[in-house]
Amino acid sequence: MSSAQLEIQLIASIVAVACAIPGTFLVLRKMAMISDAISHSILPGIVVGFFITQDLNSPLLILLAALTGVITVALVERIQKTGLVKEDTAIGLVFPVLFSIGVIMIAKNANDVHLDIDAVLLGELAFAPFDRLTVGGTDIGPKSLWVIGTILLITIALLIAFFKELKVSTFDAGLSASLGFSPIIIHYGLMTVASVTTVGAFDAVGAILVVALMIAPAACAYLLTTDLKKMLGLAIFFGVFSAIAGYWVAHWLDASIAGSITTTLGVVFFIIYLFAPSKGLIAVTYREKQQRIEVSLLTFLLHLKNHSEERERHVNHLNEHINWQKVRSKTVLDLALKNNMILINNSIVSLTEKGDAFTSQAINYIVTNEDAQIEDMKEDFFLFRG
Amino acid sequence: MNLQEYFSLVFSDYTLRTITLGTAILGAVTGMLGSFAVLRKQSLLGDAISHAALPGIALAFLITGAKDSNTLLLGALVSGLIGTFWIRGIISKTHLKSDTALGLILSLFFGFGMLLLTFIQKQPNANQAGLDKYLFGQAATLVESDVWLMAIVTGICVVVMLLFWKEFKLLLFDADYTKTLGFNTKFIDILITTFIVLAIVLGLQTVGVVLMSAMLLAPAAAARQWTNSLSKMVLLAAIFGAFSGVFGTAISASQNNLSTGPVIVIVASVFVVFSFIFSPSRGLLFRQIRFINNRRDLELQKTLSFMYRIAETHDDISHPHAIKILNNFQGFTKKTLQKLVNKNYVTIDGTMWSLTEEGFETAANLYNQNFKADV
Repeated sequence: MSSAQLEIQLIASIVAVACAIPGTFLVLRKMAMISDAISHSILPGIVVGFFITQDLNSPLLILLAALTGVITVALVERIQKTGLVKEDTAIGLVFPVLFSIGVIMIAKNANDVHLDIDAVLLGELAFAPFDRLTVGGTDIGPKSLWVIGTILLITIALLIAFFKELKVSTFDAGLSASLGFSPIIIHYGLMTVASVTTVGAFDAVGAILVVALMIAPAACAYLLTTDLKKMLGLAIFFGVFSAIAGYWVAHWLDASIAGSITTTLGVVFFIIYLFAPSKGLIAVTYREKQQRIEVSLLTFLLHLKNHSEERERHVNHLNEHINWQKVRSKTVLDLALKNNMILINNSIVSLTEKGDAFTSQAINYIVTNEDAQIEDMKEDFFLFRG
Repeated sequence: MNLQEYFSLVFSDYTLRTITLGTAILGAVTGMLGSFAVLRKQSLLGDAISHAALPGIALAFLITGAKDSNTLLLGALVSGLIGTFWIRGIISKTHLKSDTALGLILSLFFGFGMLLLTFIQKQPNANQAGLDKYLFGQAATLVESDVWLMAIVTGICVVVMLLFWKEFKLLLFDADYTKTLGFNTKFIDILITTFIVLAIVLGLQTVGVVLMSAMLLAPAAAARQWTNSLSKMVLLAAIFGAFSGVFGTAISASQNNLSTGPVIVIVASVFVVFSFIFSPSRGLLFRQIRFINNRRDLELQKTLSFMYRIAETHDDISHPHAIKILNNFQGFTKKTLQKLVNKNYVTIDGTMWSLTEEGFETAANLYNQNFKADV
């Protein structure tokens, strides 16, 4: 592994960490699409900054572009406040306009600007090690490494300093306001960090990958945990993992590094989306099926309890009466038998003592409108779940 | 070329005619379907779908090896639909919210598309150049067959929309009620979404992946300000969209180095800003004027009730008082005073005012009403 390769992986990993931190909060605050809007609308800021500084990595350019990001957020809020359109429409209106202005500014000055929209949107990580920062004649590493490293340090410092405030305002905006933390300051602080990160990272990895690195790791982590600190940790882990794995995939395919990191993120997300223990697709589908059968079981038991006459409790009659298909009624009957809730004598079904107790308690909860309690009760009664 | 030349050439010049027609049709169909997206609160879906279409274009090229725009658009349609339904799967089956799902699909599909595009570029296939026009769109590459395709799709859209108008409208405003009436909501929903995806995919070649969402939203958001009726809104949105297309093409053709897509978006956003400000019932300007008028009315009432309090203490209600004493009171202006005179509530004699019989009555009732409201 050459030093350039090492540097690329280092830059990619640091970008991943720097994006995962604000990304986690954006996902939790339901503002993930804002990151997409910011990543597009910083373009005019970058162009103007580039006219002034002629250097894509200068701090002034980063500040100007980040300012455009914050202006985007402010504009979206301003439009939303008029009540003329919904928030998502406001987002969708603002960023294409700003992006268009940026594209036109580049096109009009194409001759004296060495700036390519493709590069802004897609970035080229492979070139990052060649743009080096020299201090007093000595080479101290790639410029983008220093830029994004500084941004990461600031982000971490802010995160540690304001962790409590961020946490409270994310999960209970009302409480945090009543405790005296200004929601506006926290909101715009977060937006500023997101904008600065986007700008700092776009040169290396491109605007779209920034969005992917902000949202995807946080979304993966969200499906695995309900603890904010663990979520941050997991998001950072997934980000760094995809960055490094993606680099080697790109190396192998000889394709864009940014694209391949995003694809790796996609694969990671897909796996977690399917297999996450309690929030994944398979787990949710299984739980839904289980609940459907258990609700059927409860209906069935209630029916038994309501009818003492033998005619109503004959196995075949139940089949017609509750209007279930054969398979379903068989699953329900089996489940009830396994849990010792019914007895079958000569094809006549009757409740056992346990089944009776379960049903009475369930009725009690239904009558008092506390249906949610039934879920806890199942723990006590069921030997086997549906 | 300046604007006048453009308009004189637009009917004779093949390229100009094709592009203008193409962007106009595109604007109309996206405006029409965009109205549904905006009202269904799916504004950002367009953004996600247009990005999600990219890998489809690249894969279609990889499989067929040819750059036939119809095949590529078919690929885009398939991948856009997969993206859309995956977004729904994420929202309905997991805890992730809609914004996260949109952002995820958008960035992941787009990144995958970029991977494929860069992979294609390394292939020894001379055909591959120009695939990236789908990123930012190049209206100049439109040919007559593309315009025909757009026209046909638009025609189908209009026919389907007219056929299912009642269902679309119902689903839009009350999904639960639609279900209870026995309509297959899932089918209607899929139908609308498919047409929205189709419109977006059609626009990719002209305005590109990034700006497509604005084409969908801007005409609809502008049209929304002028009417509360769905049919009028759809019609207006189609008109706004078509005009944005024509004006955008005209402006970009009349200048050097101006790509059509961004100019169309900016023209469309001018429509939006104009509508936001000048729409009679919802616009900001008239709302502000109404607000000021209401405040004036309130001040007038305040002045009147202040006068009433003074007049109350005298046996003769029309006993004159100095205007000066009203100066302590914030609500008094020359204009409101004149208004009171016009309404015959007050008479003014030099620097003195006095309540008329009618003014006294009104003020007394005013007071009673307020009193009643308090209780």
